[in-house]
Amino acid sequence: MLWLLRRLGVSILLVWIVATVVFLAIHLVPGDPAELLLSQGGVAPDPAAVAELRTQLGLDRPILVQYVASMNGLLHGDLGQSLEDQSPVAATVMQRLPRTLELIAASAIFAVLIGLPAGTLAAVRRGGAFDRIASWLAGLALAVPVFVTGTLIVLVFAQALGWLPAGGYVPFAQAPGRHLLLLSMPAFTIGIGLAAVVLRITRAAVLDVMMRDHVRTARAKGLPPRRVLLRHVVRNALSPVVTVLGLQLGALLGGTVLVEYVFNWPGLSSLLVEAVNARDYTEVEGIVLVISVLFVTLNLLIDLIYAALDPRVRHG
Amino acid sequence: MRRFPWLAATVVGALALLALVAPVLPLPDPVHMDIAARMAAPSTPHPLGRDEYGRDVLSRLIWGGRTSLAVAFASAALACVAGTLLGVVGGFMRGVTELLAVRSMDVVLCFPPLLLALLVVTLLGPGAGTLIPVLAVLFLPGFTRVAYAGVLSARSLDYVEAVRALGAGPWRIMLRTILPAIGGPVLVQFSLAAAAGVLLESGLSFLGLGVVPPTPSWGLMIGAARATMNQDPALLLWPCLALTLTILAMNALCDGLRDAFDPHPAPPRLRRRLAPPTAPAAPLPTQRGLALAALTVEITTPTGALRPVRDVSLHVEPGETLAMVGESGSGKSLTGLAVMGLLPPVARVANGAIDLDGIDLARLDEAALRRRRGAEMAMVFQDPGSSLNPVHRVGAQITEAIRAHQKLSGHAARDQALALLRRIGIPDPARRLNAFPHELSGGMRQRVMIAMAIANSPHLLIADEPTTALDVTLQAQVLELLADLRRERRLALLFITHSLPVVAEIADRVAVMYAGEIVEQGTIAEVFARPLHPYTTALLASVPAEDGPPPLPIPGTVPSPHALPPGCAFAPRCPRAVARCDAGPPPLVRVSEGRLTRCIRWAEP
Repeated sequence: MLWLLRRLGVSILLVWIVATVVFLAIHLVPGDPAELLLSQGGVAPDPAAVAELRTQLGLDRPILVQYVASMNGLLHGDLGQSLEDQSPVAATVMQRLPRTLELIAASAIFAVLIGLPAGTLAAVRRGGAFDRIASWLAGLALAVPVFVTGTLIVLVFAQALGWLPAGGYVPFAQAPGRHLLLLSMPAFTIGIGLAAVVLRITRAAVLDVMMRDHVRTARAKGLPPRRVLLRHVVRNALSPVVTVLGLQLGALLGGTVLVEYVFNWPGLSSLLVEAVNARDYTEVEGIVLVISVLFVTLNLLIDLIYAALDPRVRHG
Repeated sequence: MRRFPWLAATVVGALALLALVAPVLPLPDPVHMDIAARMAAPSTPHPLGRDEYGRDVLSRLIWGGRTSLAVAFASAALACVAGTLLGVVGGFMRGVTELLAVRSMDVVLCFPPLLLALLVVTLLGPGAGTLIPVLAVLFLPGFTRVAYAGVLSARSLDYVEAVRALGAGPWRIMLRTILPAIGGPVLVQFSLAAAAGVLLESGLSFLGLGVVPPTPSWGLMIGAARATMNQDPALLLWPCLALTLTILAMNALCDGLRDAFDPHPAPPRLRRRLAPPTAPAAPLPTQRGLALAALTVEITTPTGALRPVRDVSLHVEPGETLAMVGESGSGKSLTGLAVMGLLPPVARVANGAIDLDGIDLARLDEAALRRRRGAEMAMVFQDPGSSLNPVHRVGAQITEAIRAHQKLSGHAARDQALALLRRIGIPDPARRLNAFPHELSGGMRQRVMIAMAIANSPHLLIADEPTTALDVTLQAQVLELLADLRRERRLALLFITHSLPVVAEIADRVAVMYAGEIVEQGTIAEVFARPLHPYTTALLASVPAEDGPPPLPIPGTVPSPHALPPGCAFAPRCPRAVARCDAGPPPLVRVSEGRLTRCIRWAEP
């Protein structure tokens, strides 16, 4: 329990650091947001308009006051207002976030369903035909960037063959089948690369565990080979797999940008691109913060799963 | 260091060269537009055709590679210099500097990488001038960590200590000893960063947030070609292909470099040897207990076959303890594993018979062996800490052993496990069943191992150094437990150890192993009173006695199976060796019933 509290404390500290860094990045970087926002096409904006906008955005207050106000807002779930249309950022983010999380979850399920069995089999038959083919395919899957995979899938299956839609989004409640079909394409695109990572880690972890003494004990008990493999090898190999998968999923929190863009999936990441293009600072700040908080939460979750998988950690 | 990845290095080198010489190649201007010739088909001056603005595709591909590689290498180089410096300084100075240099990197790691890049692009605007520092910041923690870890491990190396002792200043030590030591890992990190740089640059450019048009870039080309992919898919395919091949080559180079600098050699490729032993078995009288006849174990290595166990014959009767004693590397443990059918995949029984209750185990297939493992024969291993599975509860590990051979409900198996723990002398057994192995003491864990081994009342128990990892008082308790069980259940106990005092305490008879062979066999009383082999004599003399002469270490070491002496394996270390001893492998001489020696001079004074 003490371990859990300490871990939770570190997570909260990290979120605070992230929030501060994002605040500082936006407010201390040379170039005034108001000025940048008003300068369109390289024309210097009217100083009076800049001053007015600064007052409106509260940028004329001392930096410390702005910081305290910003942190106070965060504590109350207030991410400020969009510079573009004055809508609350928190509401927009909450509308988009589930779609991105859904995409990441589907990709992870896909990656584990492919990567875990394939990696285990590759380790058991190391040096054999399956191992070599799987390693080669994994290398290829890691080399093709997601936006290339996604674009090629659209080119072949939507444009050339006409089997699948080119992308888009419908709510699940409206058309469940079509929702899942539209979800499956970006999820598959991300899942291939992720499956390659899971395969590699699983293979290495299974090979490592197979050499351990306790596996010899399990065999000495006369357990059936399948039980030795699943309960004493794969079960013990899960910890590194979960760790690496967690890191990968964390990277995906921002990394779905490309796939959401290719498949017109209106998730949080595409909102971020829109906000970046519109130079909507408060929205960018809010999205970055939410994603970072999720990132930290995910890492916490991974540690919890890790502790559940390996009882020694709980006492460490 | 293993094979350098020449092929991948050549491809990456060729790509880099192509990017370098792009300005002097006779290529059309990559940004020159010709709207009249938009989407023109391939022709002699434009082998890959023209894009949607009539620009030459081949030229844009090559110049696009130049952009990608320039951004990637520049950012990787920047991160490499800054990150390595931070890591080295942090690792070397320790204290506050360490905190600032190394821990501050954790902040960068709080952000998903692409997200951080997007945040900075928002603030500074897109373009190669933004991309390079952004990517460099992303790659910084990797270099810092590698360099920091390298410095920490290099600091403690003997030669660094030596240079420090000679009075060299910290900067000199850093330049002369530490930087070369971390060169390999940093190079690997550099190749990883460069590959990631190509990937990130093209991804950001694809979104329109990286390189600014009209500068050619693969990401921009793919993004633009998406709009026209109905009319001309080739426009899409060329940059996709170029990008994928580049990353493939760079990844291959990374993997190759990592392998090349990996200090741990790759394990040999293992092939399962299921072929049954071919040699004829010596006819054995059908009897209870274990009988080995001329057992030989062979290991396949890249340089040829080795025989770490040769011609081992012995028998253990029900209710009897035979101790196999010898230094490490003498083949004792392999003999035990051969009986269990648990030899590592590179090893196999090449010759001889393993008879348990009249059935030759060496001739059984894996399925038949598995039914006997844990049921008719069981083994207790040396290190109870690593021999129990750390992630399962003790009770689950015991019941699993019971249920592998008995059709029992989970409840009944649990009751049996409880009874076993009670018998084995574990206090509060009901609570221990729910404990994880790391929650038990070493002695308790070994008792659990023994409980598991005797769970199905085996006829044969092989104990491989079961007390070596325990302290002296626990040793005595575990030995006593094994002796009790042997009496009570009429176990045939094969006790493997390197310790003669333990042998004297537990065994009826002893077989002394040296370099893979039995060199002497007999009852405890006979062997301890009158050893017939100089090795046994030397072993006895090496044991410290309370009131006897000071212990005498045996000079030299056990010969490796790679380089066995031509004659008696012990001759090079033997005080009694004469020229005859090197003539050929000495036979095992039977002195009297059950009394054997491999010394040709045993009868000489």
